[in-house]
Amino acid sequence: MEESAKSCQEELSALKKEYEDFVYIVSHDIKTPMRAISNITTWIEDDLGPDAGADILNNFTLLKNRVGRLENMLNALLELSRVNRTEMELYEVNFPKMVEECIASLDNGVNVKFHVNYNLSNENCITLGKKLNKVVFNLLDNAVRFHDKEIKNVFVDVRENESDYEIKISDDGPGIAEEVRNKIFAIFYTVNSKDVLDSTGAGLTISSKIVEMVGGKIYYTPGINNGSIFQINWPKIISLKN
Amino acid sequence: MIQKLVNILLVEDDEVDVMNVKRAFSKNNIKNELFVAGNGVEALDMLRTSIVPLPRIIILDINMPKMNGIEFLKNLRDDENLKNISVFVMTTSNEDSDKINAYNLNVAGYILKPLSFEKFITSVATLKNFWSLCEM
Repeated sequence: MEESAKSCQEELSALKKEYEDFVYIVSHDIKTPMRAISNITTWIEDDLGPDAGADILNNFTLLKNRVGRLENMLNALLELSRVNRTEMELYEVNFPKMVEECIASLDNGVNVKFHVNYNLSNENCITLGKKLNKVVFNLLDNAVRFHDKEIKNVFVDVRENESDYEIKISDDGPGIAEEVRNKIFAIFYTVNSKDVLDSTGAGLTISSKIVEMVGGKIYYTPGINNGSIFQINWPKIISLKN
Repeated sequence: MIQKLVNILLVEDDEVDVMNVKRAFSKNNIKNELFVAGNGVEALDMLRTSIVPLPRIIILDINMPKMNGIEFLKNLRDDENLKNISVFVMTTSNEDSDKINAYNLNVAGYILKPLSFEKFITSVATLKNFWSLCEM
């Protein structure tokens, strides 16, 4: 029995190694030809000059945009594969400070009102700080980016329970139609066509993988005025799953 | 005072990336002479036989056949005559291990090759500012 457990462990290690090598190869060997396509496109465009004609120039723009998407997708796959490998440091996080920093680093926070509310007996906790930060940032970024109103309201509510922190990030934006709610955590899924709103469709996938890794929960519920509520239950004690 | 332009040795195995650097040089109006080596072995040879004259700096890719960038750097730092040359790493590798290895071998900068040529032109312009200091 012990013998077979040992061989299982060895097989698992070998598979992990194979997987890491695969990711490394993907990151280098696919990126090089991809960059070449992007660069050569720019050179041809440059050599043709501004008189090439509107159709041709428009096609160049499309081509570069699609290669850009390819790069974003590849980077997202890499990030997803590294979720439980990198940035695994436990350190003390101050909730209000972390939320404040996430809000400050949003690059599209114009016309957004943030309403923040805490219900904590202790504002600090020792956790995988970079991971928690990533999830909170992704959800705030989504709330702002996909908002469809002139004045945008985004709500952050953090509550301390006995064994976890309940973090709710909600908005009064367009919400998510019932028929697609089961797809939003799938990689590269976007509610809007990528031509309407260019996004990779990886933020929620990465966030849910992080939350799952720490043994927590993430789910969507419809909010007031058809907006969205994303709720995370982030455990106080992190139990890492392999 | 007449400035003496540094000679640039580009160690890069990908033809498009070599063309990229040449084009970025011309876009930035960079007049420094550019030498190209396809791998680390060739680069060491070009430095030791003075095919690349002094003063010189190196722009180095990491992922290359024969001798990769990190192995090349180790050889360079072990060579009494070559160990003081400034090296700029220019690579697609965003791996922490590659960055740590490179900095441990005393590199002057670590640049990630961007996807767009426009951004690459900016990166090369920044590089130029660095090596201009070596020309004073």
